[in-house]
Amino acid sequence: MAGYLARRFVQMLLVALVAAICSYGMLYLVPGGPIDQLLAERQNAGQNRISEDDIRRVRERFELDIYVPFRFTRWLIGWPAGPLPGGIGADWQVGCAVPGQMRLRYPDGRVEVVEEGCEVPVTMADLEGRKVSRGIVFGDFGISQVMLRGRPVTDLIMTRLPYTLYLMGASIFLSILIAVPIGVYSAVRQYSRFDYIMTTLAFIGASLPSFVFGIFAILLFSVLAKNAGLPYLPPGDAVGVRDYTIPWIGAVEAGSFLDRFLRFLMPCGVLTFINIAGWSRFVRGSMLEVLSLDYVRTARAKGVAERVVILKHALRNSLIPFVTLLAGILVALFSGALITETVFNWPGIGRLFIDALGRNDYNVVMALLIINVVLLLIGILITDILYTVVDPRIRLT
Amino acid sequence: MATSTTAVPLEETAPRRSEGQWAIVFRRFRRHRLAMFCVGLLSVLLLLSAAAPLIAPYERDEPNLTGRFLTPMGIDADGGLHILGTDHLGRDYATRLLYASRVSLGTAFTATLIASTIGILLGMLAGYFGGWVDTIISRVLEIVATFPTLLLLLILSVILVQNINAIPLPSWAASGLAFIFAVSEREARIIFAVILVLAFFGWTGTARLMRGMVLSVRENVYIESARALGASNLRILFRHVFPNALPPMIVDFTLGVNGTLVAESALSFLGFGIQDPTPTWGNMLGYAQSYMFQYPWMPLIPAMPILVASIAINYIGDGLRDALDPRQRG
Repeated sequence: MAGYLARRFVQMLLVALVAAICSYGMLYLVPGGPIDQLLAERQNAGQNRISEDDIRRVRERFELDIYVPFRFTRWLIGWPAGPLPGGIGADWQVGCAVPGQMRLRYPDGRVEVVEEGCEVPVTMADLEGRKVSRGIVFGDFGISQVMLRGRPVTDLIMTRLPYTLYLMGASIFLSILIAVPIGVYSAVRQYSRFDYIMTTLAFIGASLPSFVFGIFAILLFSVLAKNAGLPYLPPGDAVGVRDYTIPWIGAVEAGSFLDRFLRFLMPCGVLTFINIAGWSRFVRGSMLEVLSLDYVRTARAKGVAERVVILKHALRNSLIPFVTLLAGILVALFSGALITETVFNWPGIGRLFIDALGRNDYNVVMALLIINVVLLLIGILITDILYTVVDPRIRLT
Repeated sequence: MATSTTAVPLEETAPRRSEGQWAIVFRRFRRHRLAMFCVGLLSVLLLLSAAAPLIAPYERDEPNLTGRFLTPMGIDADGGLHILGTDHLGRDYATRLLYASRVSLGTAFTATLIASTIGILLGMLAGYFGGWVDTIISRVLEIVATFPTLLLLLILSVILVQNINAIPLPSWAASGLAFIFAVSEREARIIFAVILVLAFFGWTGTARLMRGMVLSVRENVYIESARALGASNLRILFRHVFPNALPPMIVDFTLGVNGTLVAESALSFLGFGIQDPTPTWGNMLGYAQSYMFQYPWMPLIPAMPILVASIAINYIGDGLRDALDPRQRG
């Protein structure tokens, strides 16, 4: 067990590192990066001439003047942030502030300017005094460049996290509470009318994209209910800005508990429904499998009450595969539901990701991506360990 | 030892021409009423999208600022009838929906086809040859499985769509795609970028499934006898292993089309996939959402085909699963 865990841990670190390299490469090394964005923005704003100094400043701000390997290590572990102790390597070149230019004259008279060599190098000594994150390995995700100009990404995540935690927490809790009994009852009464209706609903729920479902919910409970003069639910945001009145309930003060609760109902309901659709099918399948096993027949033959057979003998064993879903739940708790949060304008982590991506705030995108990968890895590890706890037949070697 | 043989008329012993495997599958599939109905529905959608340029009543991108947000069956200032109304720029909704089905369904089918082909080939290699080939492919599968798919899908889509010129797509291929999707070449390049992204994330499940199937199929005696007869690896793979591992792949493909359709709609809905002048069900729904409080019928129009197609494809997959299952007789 200890050996297994150690091996798994090393494997996890490797996978996380590969993921970090891949995602770093994907976001920072593609054409159309910050400089291009800036050029486009400036040009749209009418400032169509960008001076050499501007370019140099932007390159410094986004660290584009540092060579890729150093840029990556600075991002990963916050090194190098200056010369080595004792001033060693102060003049080592780690980047290039102004690339040298060379004119190429072709035989046919064309002239092309290519970048060649380096005019103003960046040395280790130049790095001293520059802002650098402590490195993502140590939990510092750098600064948010667009959304919170200059404030740490961690701040941004922390302001959004509570919303995601309680939305996801509540919906996951509710889903388990509802999905398990439905699944069990469907399995016990297989092919009954209840089972038929539930499997059809689950089938539709599982094939329905969440944004379509979310929009239908808003149409039904906000737009149509409001138009019909019935009590309606506010369609978006987590907290209102203006007071409003709802028929039958009365005036709702913006920011009050009632306001927050009303706004919470719809996204939570949509997420819960989608989860129930998937999980009740899962429980049903697993329960059906267990119910056909020999020990269940033995228990029945011994004259154990049907209730006890199902709840004590069958259910407990049928929930073992449910443990595999836990890895996903851990990630979901943190990263929220991208699409549902966006549809309902819920200020959680999922929408943060969408916003950051839409506004090219790469540090935020990277941070969320890395946290997601790490959480998923941890979730998988926990699942494996839990398996041995709930099912003694499984041994990790 | 003499055995007495009784003469039996030939006509009676000659076995009835046995039913081919696919005939059996088709017969069983036909019994699944709902799935047959869904095949009909999907065929109508496919036909409509194939005929989009012929039956569309208006120009796809023609704005009409005096006739914005017309209700279904609304009539604009020029007396033109708009069966499904118009959108926020006064473009005919029915026309755009027809073109959108072509783009959405086409993208889903193409992306899934690419993903399934890659998945089946890699799965076959991993399962059949084992050894280091299997190790490499399985490791890659494991690593890709730890990536948060939706996040990466969005990121890659943003990057590729922003840099469509960086994708090496020869112009004959671009014009081919443009013809298939009934769009301009520039639009075709964006669609191609989205197809690439979707295909990139779609192959892992197929590869895993195929690997498992091949692992079990290759243990059969007929594979051994084929090898004994001197058949090459390639022949065994494609003549013997592939057809016997095919049935679950067909179901997987069907459900994959639905997955890709939903993923593409979600991308375009969020504004990171196929962009506005090109209509897709997803981006039409995205725009409709902003206006749904004043014009509540708007989101219903693009949402309906997503719903219908998604549920229909799932039921077809379900029917195929039952029909292809060898354990079920009859």
